[in-house]
Amino acid sequence: MTEVADPSSRPRPARAPRRSPTELAVTFLDRPFVEALVAERGEPGWLRDDRLAALTAFESLEVESNRLYTPYLDLRAARIEDAAPYTAVAVTPTGTGDLPAGVAALVEIREDGVAAVALDEAARAAGVRVLPLAALVRTDEVFARSLLDGGSILPADEKLAQLSRAAWSQGIVVHIPANVRVERPIVLRWAVGAARTLVGRTFIVLDDGAQASVVEELVQSDEVVAGAYGLLSATTEIRLGANARLAMASLQELGPDHVAFQQRLARIGEGADLRWALAQLGARLVRSRVDNVLAGDRSTVEQVEIVFGIGDQLHDLTSYTRHQGRDTTGQLLAKGVLMDNARSYMKGLISIEKTAIGTDSYLGEFGMNLSKHSRAVAIPSLEIDQPDCRRAMHSSSVGPIDESQLFYLESRGIAPDEARKFIVLGFLEPVVARVPLEDAQDRLREALEAKWAAGIGIGTIGGGSAAA
Amino acid sequence: MTSTRDLVRDERDQFAFHDDIVYLKETKRGLTRDTVEEISRFKNEPEWMLEFRLRAYDHFLKRKMPSWGGRLDDIDFDKIVYYRKPSEREEKSWDDVPEQIKATFEKLGIPEAERKFLAGVGAQYDSEVVYHSVREELTKIGVVFMGTDQALKEYPEIFRQHFGTVVPPEDNKFAALNSAVWSGGSFVYVPKGVEVPLPLQAYFRINGENTGQFERTLIVVDEGAKVHYIEGCTAPIYATDSLHAAVVEVVALPGSKVRYTTIQNWSNDVYNLVTKRAHAHARSTVEWVDANTGSRLTMKYPAIYLRGEGATAEVISVAVAGKGQHQDTGAKAVHLAPNTTSRIVSKSVSKDGGRATYRGQLKVAPGATGVTASVRCDALMLDDQSRSDTYPYIDIQEDDTTMTHEATVGKVSAEQVFYLMARGLTENEATNLIVQGFLEVFTKELPMEYAIEFNRLVKLEMEGSLG
Repeated sequence: MTEVADPSSRPRPARAPRRSPTELAVTFLDRPFVEALVAERGEPGWLRDDRLAALTAFESLEVESNRLYTPYLDLRAARIEDAAPYTAVAVTPTGTGDLPAGVAALVEIREDGVAAVALDEAARAAGVRVLPLAALVRTDEVFARSLLDGGSILPADEKLAQLSRAAWSQGIVVHIPANVRVERPIVLRWAVGAARTLVGRTFIVLDDGAQASVVEELVQSDEVVAGAYGLLSATTEIRLGANARLAMASLQELGPDHVAFQQRLARIGEGADLRWALAQLGARLVRSRVDNVLAGDRSTVEQVEIVFGIGDQLHDLTSYTRHQGRDTTGQLLAKGVLMDNARSYMKGLISIEKTAIGTDSYLGEFGMNLSKHSRAVAIPSLEIDQPDCRRAMHSSSVGPIDESQLFYLESRGIAPDEARKFIVLGFLEPVVARVPLEDAQDRLREALEAKWAAGIGIGTIGGGSAAA
Repeated sequence: MTSTRDLVRDERDQFAFHDDIVYLKETKRGLTRDTVEEISRFKNEPEWMLEFRLRAYDHFLKRKMPSWGGRLDDIDFDKIVYYRKPSEREEKSWDDVPEQIKATFEKLGIPEAERKFLAGVGAQYDSEVVYHSVREELTKIGVVFMGTDQALKEYPEIFRQHFGTVVPPEDNKFAALNSAVWSGGSFVYVPKGVEVPLPLQAYFRINGENTGQFERTLIVVDEGAKVHYIEGCTAPIYATDSLHAAVVEVVALPGSKVRYTTIQNWSNDVYNLVTKRAHAHARSTVEWVDANTGSRLTMKYPAIYLRGEGATAEVISVAVAGKGQHQDTGAKAVHLAPNTTSRIVSKSVSKDGGRATYRGQLKVAPGATGVTASVRCDALMLDDQSRSDTYPYIDIQEDDTTMTHEATVGKVSAEQVFYLMARGLTENEATNLIVQGFLEVFTKELPMEYAIEFNRLVKLEMEGSLG
């Protein structure tokens, strides 16, 4: 064939090769990488074995193990072929150990090292431990092994959890001894640079009767570089002993081209109570899974999630609530606001096992689509083996801005854009109000306002009045 | 109250009969290309239908079994007889139907039902329509109601225009299987502006051990026309498994209204894997009213593709899962056009270790503006050996969609039972009443005779847990 030059045709922009939505482009994780990590860090044999077991599991698992959800998986935006975590990280904090006001402890982790570790003296005296995971492995191998060995409580069918288990180079441990109450929040900050990769694990252990609150911040640590895909792959494992109480808020504000894989699991003991609020604002692609295991009798969990997607963001969120003990309570509420081409997949499954007599479980998933091209998917599922329950229900809705509310506000002299903002933030407010920590609430409100402004700036919003 | 229960048991026996029929023509067990060609030859079909069957057969071989839903491991495609003909020719009037087959239908009460209010009967005995009558007035107003095989010969144009367009053979493994070996089923055509005053009805039965039943129903309702189609099934009880893989296609042209009512009561060894789908064009209304009380495993999700502006879809789905049963049922509404509306209501009852699953999809495609949709699923569990699942898929790709979904699961409350018992009912009667009340959203949509029959079926199903 002869090539004919056509002056009117412009060269096509180089396109990324077509990829399957289920293809996970992780290239760094193999046996030599794991061996290098172990050697560099001088880790004990059991830990090496644990990493290798995770590697084997990682290699054999599908990204989505639940057949219910396979149609809604899209990893094409995860351009992480070049992702490569550091094998050598600095374990000594570079920070001075100063504690911000009103905070009981602070740990800041960067992809290349521990930036800060600080713990309030009174808490330390009470036996509270807040330290990097590597430090725990060195100083208290027995406890570290109880947390890590055998994959701990991570879901064995979750490929991305096994990724973090095999390849983690950073970690944080929070341990509150029995009956100790830490009043002020413990702040855990994960900062990832543009185009950087960080694989980490967080363990929060509250012994019987302990109480604490944790604020987690996930941020981009440096300047935004367009097209620089970074990766945060992280697990959070929470164990609550009998009658322990934990409040946790997580604010994810990673950069616009970050990819986040988040696996969180909570095992809740008898009479224990977990309240967590998870806000997803940043990143290009988030794939998050939360497992709440209500193992103990009368254990409770309240989980709220907020998604605010703009541009091409995809937030792919799954939550599993497993009722095992008697008279357990689960309250899950997720709300999403979507602008531009943003997509959110909210998948949830309540399972009430045969032993879980007297369960009260609710799952709500609500979406607000604000543009023509946004897409909200909600799959709130139930699997029930024990009908003797107080309540088992889910509900969901997806709708636009309520025009009558808009009209009402405009008739009161509020400008259309301002009115829309009120309505959207008002839609999220009931969830914000349930964030268990007041400071975190305020920070989230600010972040949502900023996100709204960014959303307005990027694209046009559906509906006639936006053009006004 | 023992006498009442005995009566109920007698009724059950009445439905579990099996006549000895001499099968005049049947294919060898198992499915090969030859089987498909043989069926087509038997039926003396046009070339395009043979090609359609072979295309479906090729896809069936390629397609994997579904990995979700119920357990399908016990289906042995090599043991099934794919075509079996009970009598040589189609019968025009009731008098001509062979005595033995007639006796079977007598037990099902078809003649009375027909006298009372039915517009026509297409009774399927095994794999062929053997009896067919269309009331004179229907013929006069141009309504066509006949066996699908006959329609292929008598109405080739309208048949070919719509057949396989709503459910293509490639849709799923069992639609491919049906498309390859289909036989029997009903064909309905309602001309422009015609309202069929009475429900059209077809009884379906499976007979013969390991007889596959692959009927194919095609309903075309022309512009502004209106029809209600009812199918109900009972089946003899056998020890080994039977497979029922039907395909139902409904084309609702602009401004038409179609209601399709099913009462499914296959015996508890039948795999009931059915694809039912409707295309709803502009301003049309399609309603699936679907009850599943029988079978070992049912996987059925009546679907409506809302293709034209202003179309309306409604699905009322009811399932009762007893011992050894899995009812994996639900509904699908796909909004492809603006200002379309859908409503899905699902009610399920599980008991004695049965499993009831709601699986549904609600999709609003880009461009389908002004959509209103609602999904409501309620499940009732009668004991703690049973299981109930709800898997709703909601996928909204338009910004002005209004969608709500709600689901609850509960058990029969002790207070309700106590209250009714205080009014003089036995515990069994009280529970039965509560279950019937729970399912009323469905029963009230049925013509009275059917409502009575359905309540009787529910009572039969309840018998195990009540006895």
